[in-house]
Amino acid sequence: MTQPPLLSVDGLTTTFNTDAGLLTAVDDVSFDIAEGETLCLVGESGSGKTVASESITRLIDSPPGETGGAVRYRGRDLTEMSESELRSLRGDNITHIFQNPQDALNHCYTVGWQIVEAIQMHEDVSDDAARERAVDLLNEVGIANAAARFDDYPHEFSGGQKQRVMIAMALVTNPDLLIADEPTTALDVTVQAQILRLLNRLQDEYGLGILFVTHDLGVVAEIADRVVVMYAGKVMEHGSVYDIFEQPSHPYTRALMECLPGGERASGGIPGTLPDPVDPPDGCRFAPRCDHAVSECHTGEQPAEAEVSDSHCASCVYYQPGYDAGTILGPDTGSGSASEEVTND
Amino acid sequence: MGLGWYITRRVGWAVIVTFIIVTVTWALITAAPNPAVRQAATQAALDGGNPSAAAERVRELRGLNAPLHQRYIDYMVNVYTLDWGWSTMRSQPVTEAMLSALYYTVQYSVPWTLFTILLAPAVGLYSAANQYSWKDHLATGFAFFGYAIPNFFFGIMLLLLFGVYLEWIPITYNSDVPVFSLENARQLIVPVFVLVTGSIGGTMRVARNESAEFISADFVKTANAKGVSKLRVYARHILRPTMVPLSTTIVGQLLALFIGASLLVEIVFGIPGLGRLTFRAIIAQDTNLVLGSTLFFTFIATIGNLIQDLVYTVLDPRISFEDR
Repeated sequence: MTQPPLLSVDGLTTTFNTDAGLLTAVDDVSFDIAEGETLCLVGESGSGKTVASESITRLIDSPPGETGGAVRYRGRDLTEMSESELRSLRGDNITHIFQNPQDALNHCYTVGWQIVEAIQMHEDVSDDAARERAVDLLNEVGIANAAARFDDYPHEFSGGQKQRVMIAMALVTNPDLLIADEPTTALDVTVQAQILRLLNRLQDEYGLGILFVTHDLGVVAEIADRVVVMYAGKVMEHGSVYDIFEQPSHPYTRALMECLPGGERASGGIPGTLPDPVDPPDGCRFAPRCDHAVSECHTGEQPAEAEVSDSHCASCVYYQPGYDAGTILGPDTGSGSASEEVTND
Repeated sequence: MGLGWYITRRVGWAVIVTFIIVTVTWALITAAPNPAVRQAATQAALDGGNPSAAAERVRELRGLNAPLHQRYIDYMVNVYTLDWGWSTMRSQPVTEAMLSALYYTVQYSVPWTLFTILLAPAVGLYSAANQYSWKDHLATGFAFFGYAIPNFFFGIMLLLLFGVYLEWIPITYNSDVPVFSLENARQLIVPVFVLVTGSIGGTMRVARNESAEFISADFVKTANAKGVSKLRVYARHILRPTMVPLSTTIVGQLLALFIGASLLVEIVFGIPGLGRLTFRAIIAQDTNLVLGSTLFFTFIATIGNLIQDLVYTVLDPRISFEDR
């Protein structure tokens, strides 16, 4: 028998019942995370990446949210678990860090109390032992004078320090999978780099699998092993970090890359806006904004994932038989400069 | 400097506040014509005596001819030594009359306050947890009903229904029953219920809105992600921050009701408490007794605000007590 992956997400779909109608935030998203691997979920704001990350442990309130598909943690399906089974997994085997550290800690309790709570929810340890472990971990994530700061309240910490506390709280139960939702977005650049380095170090130390949600391709380049690119709730492309950066294959990924500083879209961005999630367009979700879209792109379903190379897939018609992927990639692979010459639609 | 110093200063301020209030009441009384003096003058004139001599005699008798500062000091000393004068209506010292009335007021005020503090946040939280469902609408409707309906009217209606028609509860209040007895519980259940519905309404609305805000807060998501049980999330992570703004409302609501509504409720149910005593004193123009109950309610309000300030800092660690 082969070992199942650490986390296997299969056809994850999350919808919300809104006044405007059924809103599909995450639509048939699949990916695997192996032990000790960092998978980056990339996409612009509103692409559904945060909802996808929170749907894994069913943190989405239901109603109005509704999660479908299968999520397997070491082969056990989380979507079929009872609430109490799931709770024993949350915070123990799978932990979360969120985007905004300013509000992620409860302002009524000391940070120590909150870390100890995380331990004691899952393990029957004494207050003193829990405290000792919390202080050790606060030390390890770089909180100076941790024993004294244990009894401080969140408002006495800076944003970066709060995120360190969150990381400590997420690691204190020795999890296998850390779901980090834009953990550095709300922090300034120098602190961001420190937090990323810290996560990298802790990942090696603890053998942690990380699902890292971000819109920042710079961060992706720094930490990812593999990348999943999302747009409007759908997976556009996935592959190793080298595949994605050296040969971005989906027109959306290429457009994103061109938005990086120095790229040709650096000042203008991608024209157009995200489609209406209540009433998404037919065909490829990106087609209305795509430079290369042909008539097929506007009908039917999102194109099936086609293999670009080994373990590198793109959801684009150009990688299906009968199309020339060279149209997108251009003669000079990787530079993306050819996209100007080809202007369909 | 820690919490102890903050509390000391807050209590000091409360003392100063009562001092100012008592001074203002003294100034008002001094500036107003004294009814006893005028009455003596009228009487003397009717009897054919000398009105101004009679007035002078009464002034002397009451120490009103002393210099202002002397009268002020006497008054302040008397107030703070609880020598609040003689009640002509009750023919006993004011403090004694108030103490015996307080005995009955406490009997319904304590359960009323406890029920409000315990129930209002719980009902509000329940409502927020089931926001926009029928459960929420039911709880909200109940709260609005209690808030909107005048206490005395609601009391009369309940007395009519349960006392007169169903005969479940006694119609007249019996002040002779022991405090902890079934009879006492039976005769106090309706007044307490009426007061609780009145005070719960406003407080529960605040509790609902505040906790609805915290239910979707990031730190609640963190708690869920930690695997904290639902009940514990509500009790520890939502209710606790909700109590901070709520403590303000609870104290304010209770004080307002304590002074206003309890008077009406006492009259409706015939409870010989402080409210009814004040009411009768006003009718009988018993100045000392009216003044006494005014001072009492002033102290209650000051102490209530003091408690609220202290509770605030204990509940919300972000409120600094350094520079206040």
